Amino acid sequence: MKKLITATTVVLSALCSTVSLAAEGDVGVEASMDDRYCTTCHGAEGIGNIAIEAPRLAGMEAWYLKRQLENFRAGIRGTHAEDIQGIAMQPMAAKLSDESIDDIVGWVGEWEYVAAEITVDGNVNQGRTAYQSCASCHGANAEGNEALGAPALAGQNDWYMITQIKNFRAGFRGAHSEDTYGSQMLAMSKTLRDDQAVINVVSYINTLQK
Amino acid sequence: MTNPVSRREFLNLLGAYGGTSAVLQAGAALGFMPSSSQAAEISLKANNGKKVAILGTGISALTTAWELTKAGYDCTLLEASHRPGGRMFTVRAGTVIDEIGNYQRCEWDDDPHLYFNAGAARIPSIHSSVLKYCKELEVELQVFVNESKTAWVQDDAMNGGKPVRNTDYSSSMQGFISEMLSKSLGKEQLDSSLTESESEILLGMLRSFGDLNEDMLYKGSVRAGYGSGGFLDHGTKRDVIALRDLLKTRLAGNVMVTTQEGTGSGPLLMQPVGGMDRIIYAFANRLGDRIKFRAPVTEVMVKDDGVEVAYEQNGVTEVLKADYCFNCIPSHLMSGIPNNFPDDYSEALNYIRRGKAYKAAFQAKERFWEKENIYGGITWVNAPSAQIWYPPHNIHGKKGVVLAAYNFGGANYTEMSQEDRIEDFLAAGEKVHPNYREMAEKPITIAWHRMNHMLGCAPRWARVRGGWSEKEEAMYETLRKPVNGRHYLIGDQSTQHSAWMESAIQSAHYALADLDQRVRSEPA
Repeated sequence: MKKLITATTVVLSALCSTVSLAAEGDVGVEASMDDRYCTTCHGAEGIGNIAIEAPRLAGMEAWYLKRQLENFRAGIRGTHAEDIQGIAMQPMAAKLSDESIDDIVGWVGEWEYVAAEITVDGNVNQGRTAYQSCASCHGANAEGNEALGAPALAGQNDWYMITQIKNFRAGFRGAHSEDTYGSQMLAMSKTLRDDQAVINVVSYINTLQK
Repeated sequence: MTNPVSRREFLNLLGAYGGTSAVLQAGAALGFMPSSSQAAEISLKANNGKKVAILGTGISALTTAWELTKAGYDCTLLEASHRPGGRMFTVRAGTVIDEIGNYQRCEWDDDPHLYFNAGAARIPSIHSSVLKYCKELEVELQVFVNESKTAWVQDDAMNGGKPVRNTDYSSSMQGFISEMLSKSLGKEQLDSSLTESESEILLGMLRSFGDLNEDMLYKGSVRAGYGSGGFLDHGTKRDVIALRDLLKTRLAGNVMVTTQEGTGSGPLLMQPVGGMDRIIYAFANRLGDRIKFRAPVTEVMVKDDGVEVAYEQNGVTEVLKADYCFNCIPSHLMSGIPNNFPDDYSEALNYIRRGKAYKAAFQAKERFWEKENIYGGITWVNAPSAQIWYPPHNIHGKKGVVLAAYNFGGANYTEMSQEDRIEDFLAAGEKVHPNYREMAEKPITIAWHRMNHMLGCAPRWARVRGGWSEKEEAMYETLRKPVNGRHYLIGDQSTQHSAWMESAIQSAHYALADLDQRVRSEPA
């Protein structure tokens, strides 16, 4: 599959070999024609970027990343008017081909897992208690469980997890009729009573870094 | 036609904004001529090849590289994109618009007049540093027409949605303002604040400014455009648009202040012949292979004796070791690049928000605006697309490129499909020009929030309208100091007047002066 991408890229590049020159004699090179845009928002080697509110991709499971890209592409995720960050992502995925998604997933897989910086300071003990219901799907060490479709949480940007859990609780994510796994998470997120409970559980997850 | 607002109503309106006394107090500034703005003289100590890493190729980076190269420094510029210039971006035939998720390629006719400045587009007379480099690098300039009084103002809420000529609007507004002020200033306020001679001059000015009649009343003016005649026959006045009708549009402010000089607007602005990127390439072509394209920075580590910058090129990670680093990567992208900046520096970097703005343009089949007596300037529409600019160059040529949307401060286009964006500005434009849709060929849109390697327009520091907080001032000062005397943040993000090339260049000059002072103080 990767070979195919490379071949396509070469052909497109050849067709557009002069496109990026502003005028005769100007410096510059050909624009990239592939879909490997991720790092502009998600940071160098996918470490995440709080200023763009784009989460860490480095270390994300291939199966989870693929499913989310497909969900974004299909409008299953990132189309609720209140899902501000999801709306930012959705059009990025909308034009991806199956080949591009596979290419991106493979590329992201090359990046080393780096635990994200900790930015929240909730009540870890209360978070631990609350996490018991999360553990049944996401694993006792938040390592994720592919069989249940539950991604790893350990090491993910805490600000991102907070936004997502709040979005699930409010029905901004997971409410789409075709979002099978998202709808499960939407239901489970209701077990967290309020915003503070969300911060607490994320603070506990922060202690479970790989 | 409705009655004009009464004098009392008008004074109440004025009062809400500080009233006449505020206007007069502001007059205390009279007598102080603003000093003319001069470009800094850059005189760097000639250097024996110290290595400098320059991150990004915005105009601050290019200025830095140009000055340092002239002084004998060994510069390498790392650019993530395929092109130099950042937000100084000109679109013409063949240009790739590298928007994430909405790749566009401009298909306009290959003609030097047919271009669109998608970012920086205007050079004010007081932006001396920009002008200095245009002169030094032989970038040919021409006048840019920022305001045409024959351009239109269109708001569904005014005049039944029918467009009004700028001159019709502004002449009437000036007339009413003059009439109201002359009435209010005829009394004791005036006597106590101004001498008899001053009062006479002021009232004379108001009569002239508003084209008032002998009773100091505004009864229409031929400045608004003739109702009929004007050349072979006596010109007649058009019907007066009532003040209350003028006040139906919130565009009033835009229409009335476009040509005020000072912060960047002005009656006389300039543009490079052939596109704003002529300035960029004047630098970049001279710097040649010192610039590495498609070389995104992946790590910045400040050391005791220099800076190590990792970057990727052709899938390989390289490390550039330099004595100094000048960095114009947008702060919101720098947040996603590993670094070892001090906490307060990182906090300040992460604080700056990415500004919102978008533009759109199309190639017009014919210069339809010229048939409406428009030869440049701006039409204001009360719609998200906000503005229509007509090209001031190549008058009476065959085609022209029209700016069809310029929303500074909005990000509507970010969340719209290309088709919806185009429909949005066509729908707004055809309320002004009935043949607009038919004239528009090959539209392009620029949503700065989505542009690859930019993800935003001019940086935004102040979170609250009305000024910078003490905390913001302190963070700004933190970012102006080099990390360990080695890493300089440059660009308009490192100024208090973002969105202008002049600011970006001055940020480079500021950093260069600091570097030069350090180099000069080094032991021989």
